[in-house]
Amino acid sequence: MLDLKKLEILSDGAKYDVSCSSSGSKRKNVNGLGNACFSGICHSFTQDGRCVSLLKILLSNDCIYDCKYCVNRASNNTPRATAEPREICELVMGFYKRNYIEGLFLSSAIVKNPNYTMEKLFETVKLLRTEFRFNGYIHLKGIPLADKLLIERAGFYVDRMSFNIELPSEKSLSLLAPQKSKKAIIEPMKMLALDKYYDNPLKLNRRKDFLPAGQTTQMIVGASPESDAQILKLTEFMYRAYKLKRVYYSNYVPTNFDTSLLPYSQAPLVREHRLYQADWLLRFYGFSANEITDDNGNLDTDFDPKCAWALKNLGLFPVEINTAPFEMLVRVPGIGVKSAMRIANARKFAKLDFNDLKRLRVVLKRAVHFITCNGKFIGTKNEYSIKSLLIGAEISQNEQLSMFNTSSASLSALTGEL
Amino acid sequence: MKTFIIDNNIDGLLTALFVSFTEKIVPDFVVDRKCYQGRLDCLSIDISTDFSHAERVKTALYKYGGDDVISHLKVCLLSCDKNATTVAFNYAYLMLKRRENVCNMLSEKAVSDFSFLIQKVLHERHIVLGFLRFEQSAKGIMYAKYVPDNDITELIAPHFLRRLGQIPFIIHDGKRNKIAISNGKSLDFRHTDLPSNFVPSENEKEFHDLYRKYFQSVNIKERKNTAQQDRYFPRRYRKYCFETWE
Repeated sequence: MLDLKKLEILSDGAKYDVSCSSSGSKRKNVNGLGNACFSGICHSFTQDGRCVSLLKILLSNDCIYDCKYCVNRASNNTPRATAEPREICELVMGFYKRNYIEGLFLSSAIVKNPNYTMEKLFETVKLLRTEFRFNGYIHLKGIPLADKLLIERAGFYVDRMSFNIELPSEKSLSLLAPQKSKKAIIEPMKMLALDKYYDNPLKLNRRKDFLPAGQTTQMIVGASPESDAQILKLTEFMYRAYKLKRVYYSNYVPTNFDTSLLPYSQAPLVREHRLYQADWLLRFYGFSANEITDDNGNLDTDFDPKCAWALKNLGLFPVEINTAPFEMLVRVPGIGVKSAMRIANARKFAKLDFNDLKRLRVVLKRAVHFITCNGKFIGTKNEYSIKSLLIGAEISQNEQLSMFNTSSASLSALTGEL
Repeated sequence: MKTFIIDNNIDGLLTALFVSFTEKIVPDFVVDRKCYQGRLDCLSIDISTDFSHAERVKTALYKYGGDDVISHLKVCLLSCDKNATTVAFNYAYLMLKRRENVCNMLSEKAVSDFSFLIQKVLHERHIVLGFLRFEQSAKGIMYAKYVPDNDITELIAPHFLRRLGQIPFIIHDGKRNKIAISNGKSLDFRHTDLPSNFVPSENEKEFHDLYRKYFQSVNIKERKNTAQQDRYFPRRYRKYCFETWE
């Protein structure tokens, strides 16, 4: 089994891969160990607030590529390690049996060449499924430029596969990861989205066999100058064209400081948070990328994207809770998909008032400014007041201009020091 | 005010519903016999479980509420909320009174209280599926101890029976001294007052060390956010999650 040192090196190298969900698969336990839970299960939470669901590990961190942003790049002087497929399998079985993990997230640096690396990854997942009879969740990171046949065969052993788009534009990719290309990443994603794997009428069970949890991707945010609008449009396109289940955003954390091409500090976490909120709106709320970004192509940092959209479109509100269509209900700040479903069900039996909404766990603090119940409105219609109420702090509307309104200027005025 | 005193199980609850309809008494509280404390301003009615009456009510509930209604009532009775029995009673009473499925009538207090109580129990069930930690004995038996808020051992054990296949295991609710035992094929639930004398095998420490190391190395130190960690992973569930111990 893997020793402590190797485990530390290989899991440390994998920690910037953000995808760790174990949802979307219903794999059953057939004479072995493990199954997959459709909703996914989190087994622990680390101090950075992220969940530990899968054993997130690299097969090797000994990379031949030299991507500027990557901690495992060839030119970095970091400890290197490579695990054997059997070592990974034994560790997975030991952890899984003790309920430490929900499955395996296996990735790798590019060792020797893409085909060799993909072969090793494939060997590991095949060993785990066949010899170790492991039926838990497996997420495999695909290697761009590896042979298509290898990628296709791996797809029949794992629950989810992902190819990282890495950066939101081709220009940034060629600048920061010169050995990677857009085509090399997009081609396998296109292949995995082909209908032949999912809708084969002759083999009805094939849908269950091939990537039951679909494919995902991830990109780094804040390492390159693309706006939120560019990122969200790319996301929207990929959901549509490649049938992705999720797009993950990884806030850039500087690890290499020897290049002027990358920022020296990490982007504010709120940006990543807003992108995830916007992504949610694209997938479940019927929004488009154009609707939720501002004129500069960015997301509002003060308000969540749905709230910011509602404040821009106050003319569409208030909506009557007892008659509004479901599509409009989910667009009301403070009402999520679940609350909207509860409202839609409950209003079939009785007219709802504000007390009922409270009982349905609607966040009234936000929603009151955008809804009426039986024609009654108890919010405020002034955009400025709504904003201050939502932020939870008073914004002074008529601030007296001062010559000394920065703290250093005030101090200077008091002490006379220039 | 009237209080029904019942056995805290589904048949006890259904018998109480039968009595309520036949005697035309609507209780203000329905309480478990084990936790009952008399009140001066309350008329208490002790109801002993009658399985034939319970069966008649069950048939009616299936008719109005569909296949899930009894399992939902059972989940509600597993809640640690002191009003859980009353909430379950009020929900079933409303269904029988209106003679239709009321599960979507969330503007009714009885329905919304019931719905959120079972949601709470099922949420705890879901998170505990991840937070349980097994240890293996020298004989290969897996043992996990935990202290849940609600009595969810019966809800989580089938998950592990499916998952662990033929590996025998014991899940021990330390708060209620309730255990689920699996022989790899079927489950048995018991109460035990005996202290746990489980001795883990020698290589358990190695797995503890490996998982602790893994837990530390996947953490991104630059993104420390313990508030979020506490929100998703409440401290009361960390008692047996050794990876978080200082």
